[in-house]
Amino acid sequence: MQNSKERQKTSISTNIKEVEEQLKHRIGIGESFDVGVRKLSVLKKEIQIYYCSGLCDTLFIIEIMRELMDMDHGHRAPSNVKEIVHNHLSHQQVDVTDNLEIAIDRMLSGLIAVFVEGEAEAFIVDVRSYPGRNPEEPDIEKVVRGSRDGYTENIIMNTALTRRRIRDERLRHEIMQVGKRSKTDVCITYIKDIADPGLVELIKKELQAIDIDGIPMADKTIEEFIVKQGWNPFPLVRYTERPDVAAQHIMEGHVLIITDTSPSVIITPTTYFHHVQHAEEYRQTPVVGAFIRWVRFAGIIASLLLVPLWYLYATQKGLLPHDIQFIGPHKTTHIPLFLQIIFAEIGIEILRVAAIHTPSPLSTAMGLIAAVLIGQIAIDVGLFVPEVILYVSVAAIGGFSTPSYELSVANKLLRLLVLVLTAIFHVPGFVFGATAILLYLCFMQNLNTPYLWPFMPFNGKAFMQIMVRLAVPLSSARPSIVHPQDANKQSK
Amino acid sequence: MDILQHEVIKMSEKKEEQMPSFMSRVINIGFFGGLCWGVVGYIAYYLNLAKIGPALALAPWALGKWKGEWLGQLLGIIVIALLSILIAILYRFLFIRIKNMFGGLLYGILLWLCVFYLLHPIFPGLEPVKNLGRNTIATTICIFILYGVFVGYSVSFEYHQRKLMRERKSS
Repeated sequence: MQNSKERQKTSISTNIKEVEEQLKHRIGIGESFDVGVRKLSVLKKEIQIYYCSGLCDTLFIIEIMRELMDMDHGHRAPSNVKEIVHNHLSHQQVDVTDNLEIAIDRMLSGLIAVFVEGEAEAFIVDVRSYPGRNPEEPDIEKVVRGSRDGYTENIIMNTALTRRRIRDERLRHEIMQVGKRSKTDVCITYIKDIADPGLVELIKKELQAIDIDGIPMADKTIEEFIVKQGWNPFPLVRYTERPDVAAQHIMEGHVLIITDTSPSVIITPTTYFHHVQHAEEYRQTPVVGAFIRWVRFAGIIASLLLVPLWYLYATQKGLLPHDIQFIGPHKTTHIPLFLQIIFAEIGIEILRVAAIHTPSPLSTAMGLIAAVLIGQIAIDVGLFVPEVILYVSVAAIGGFSTPSYELSVANKLLRLLVLVLTAIFHVPGFVFGATAILLYLCFMQNLNTPYLWPFMPFNGKAFMQIMVRLAVPLSSARPSIVHPQDANKQSK
Repeated sequence: MDILQHEVIKMSEKKEEQMPSFMSRVINIGFFGGLCWGVVGYIAYYLNLAKIGPALALAPWALGKWKGEWLGQLLGIIVIALLSILIAILYRFLFIRIKNMFGGLLYGILLWLCVFYLLHPIFPGLEPVKNLGRNTIATTICIFILYGVFVGYSVSFEYHQRKLMRERKSS
């Protein structure tokens, strides 16, 4: 346990009354209703079992207690009560500790602490059973075929789901606790002889440096601490809720961070192109996967540049190429085009934000209102020209086709930025805006990884992987950007 | 004597093992850089953002009328991709040690100045810069900057990456 050197040590008194007094005072037995103690008398010694109800499985505790109670019948009071009790704790995970702090921590995590009269050590039995759901398919990363399980809020279940896919003895789940009060478990997952040891070290250092009382927002808070987001709108880490995606990345040499209480697992290091891929592409034949991916790319580019480009043509006379003369607003309204686009964008944004927390029975009604009222009637009353609705909608749909939700929102912000630049500086504004975004992405680094790799800096092989989704037998190399210790996935 | 010769052979072998592969990466980067930004240049030309397309690369040669049409543009992209290999190699020998991207950025601007001022006489059809108009200047400068960053950043990243790998291997 990484924090053990920081955690102060309180030794356990051999006087059980003193221990009881200490614990009663510290964890508030009697004040809080969810912590409690059960006292037994076994072999003429007092035994106290501390528990936190709701986090532990009562059936296991009953089983253990029955075992302890049964002992009393056969035995005469021996001298080595501690060993006998240890032997009779019928569970595979029994720890011994002489530190009261650890005992308290564990007890509040749902384990039970067993104190024996006259002993300076306590037993800790893992009878945890956290309230939570079973693995189910994550909403945001659905596939047509393939595994339907997803990570849950329970870190133990998450590591188990990963382990189900990688039985390698070199898979490492290193756990540490973050948050002085919340003591949230954070797990770093990697394969020891593939992942870059420098990266693992760096992440550990960043995690250890976090000094905060608690992280109820779990993964998101961890992300903000380790990648130093600042005002950057782009997502610097990729999240996944799919164990198969996670396992795939672990085997490529990525390092994962699993945070307790969150089903989203952080994949590091991340580049821009991690955000434009989706598990579905890998569930289809390579050709179909490549096709899906190209369509997706088109959607993403449209979501970024289509609206500003159309605005450029609509406002700059004579700029429109001869072949596509039919484009353009043929009607005019009293509202300037720029404001129309801004209104439409904000309207869609309001709908989207509303849709997040609208209960599903109501969202159908909301969609109807959005489509019929805002779309058609806004045109009929002369608020918008039809083209505005069309192009803003296409851009919005392009945003929805972006696999990474975070990236789609970032793209939306930048689309507005380019639009404003275009409105002020016309063609130079448009091209300088687009160039500046690309350069900014290119300059960006997170965890020593260039964000636009493998495009800029260019890496031909890796770029091909992103462009066409090669068949698995043909892609034998791990991506070089993670600096894998073993560069090949398949032996030659 | 024998040992020395053996050493020399071994060293040259080692050199051969690394150098060509790095050089081939540079060539690769140059070619794809030219191709990619040539295509972007063509798109910008088609969208009327710039008056000049990749066919500019063919301007020094007197060719048929097709030079200005899409075939000329296509050929222009290929010529640019091939020329770009030389440009990448030039970067490799001049600025490889520059670790950040500003090297590439300046290289792009330098190339733009080269094409539109220094090499201006060899492009017969090219108007003087002051007649090109704001749009064309802005678009071409942007494409050249992106191209410069693409080549420069990629080459020096590859170089530093290899250096890192060697250091890691030796330690």
